Amino acid sequence: MKPNLSVPSLLAMASVFAVGAAAQAPATTPAKSSALNPAELTAPAGGSANPDTKRVRPRDTTPHGPTPRLADGHPDFSGVWQGGGPVGDLAQGLAPGETIPLLPAAKALMDKRESKDDPEANCLPTGIPRIAPYPWRMVQDATHVYFLFEGNIHSFRQVFMDGRKHPDDPDPTWYGHSIGSWDGDTLVIDTIGFNDKFWFDFRGHPHTEQLHTIERYTRKDLGTLENKVTIIDPGDYSKPFTLTFTARLRPNEELMEYICQENQQDAQHMHGSAGLPQNP
Amino acid sequence: MKAAFAYLVAGIALLAPAAALAHHSFAAEYDTKKPVSLKGTVTKVEWTNPHARFYIDVKNESGAVVNWNLELASPNVLVRQGWSRHSLNVGDQVTVEGAQAKDGSQMANARTVILADGKKVFAFSASDAPPPSQ
Repeated sequence: MKPNLSVPSLLAMASVFAVGAAAQAPATTPAKSSALNPAELTAPAGGSANPDTKRVRPRDTTPHGPTPRLADGHPDFSGVWQGGGPVGDLAQGLAPGETIPLLPAAKALMDKRESKDDPEANCLPTGIPRIAPYPWRMVQDATHVYFLFEGNIHSFRQVFMDGRKHPDDPDPTWYGHSIGSWDGDTLVIDTIGFNDKFWFDFRGHPHTEQLHTIERYTRKDLGTLENKVTIIDPGDYSKPFTLTFTARLRPNEELMEYICQENQQDAQHMHGSAGLPQNP
Repeated sequence: MKAAFAYLVAGIALLAPAAALAHHSFAAEYDTKKPVSLKGTVTKVEWTNPHARFYIDVKNESGAVVNWNLELASPNVLVRQGWSRHSLNVGDQVTVEGAQAKDGSQMANARTVILADGKKVFAFSASDAPPPSQ
């Protein structure tokens, strides 16, 4: 590889990383970034940069501006987003002072779970509300909202916006049966019909087939999409609880292919639990 | 030159907070108490999902050659950070710092790589891994 270290490229990298840090998400840059060098930790040829990252407050480069709207006046949620759900730990979406009301049997199940059995580590879907730590796109049309996931095994999720009801006895699935409606500027997605296979996070927060989720998506401004999700599952939780996660817009980004099953070698080397991981 | 170096420091300083990514728990697979520093020759590069991987032949203390399996982030994450599938090539001499697999196999999560051209680069390999050593 030919090194091409230049001030502009380093500034580009700095900007790129600032976005990721500000959004607690990976850095944003257009997919066509081949002009960049791999991110460098130290200067070449005797350079000795040893930055103390704690002293640097990354610049927030999340785009700001008015919430875009569709022709019918509803907010336009289209775009490539990052985040908006738990990755490492569901509890990080709780309001301060709140706890997750796990029932004893559910806690016992969670305590004995090992990361090698995490479906997502084995290239199976995240379910809801978990999110993979990769970008995703929301697409709206007159009758549907689609979530297109780069990670999360490169799958998609569909929400019916045509006023239909849930089926009486849906087959249990990874994403369930989702119907959407508007509450003012908030898109409300109501989902039932889940299987009990996916985990809510690396830690292994469980759920049963009684799971019912109500996601409330509000595009606070151009670059910020809030997901306030209520978990209702009397099988594993003593009462409904609500979590808040924020997705950040990744302007000029495109989804890329990600076929997780291609070369999965991790699960067979895992031992024990995930501990207390931080969401990225 | 001084100004350029200042920009370099600014750019570098922002690296660690940019979370690296993985679809699985880092802590369950790798042991930060088993840090490895491996110098060797690249024998294979897998530009694949869910993780790019490369393999290096390393001479151990007894002189025997051991092949290590080294995990990077996904190709998408790497490309967005400036890597390409040409960043590592078979035959390159590289030095890798990372954490060994908990099960003791010759496998590690690469945190930083000193490439064949001498550049030390971050490997973006896990969201819940601690930041690289300075």
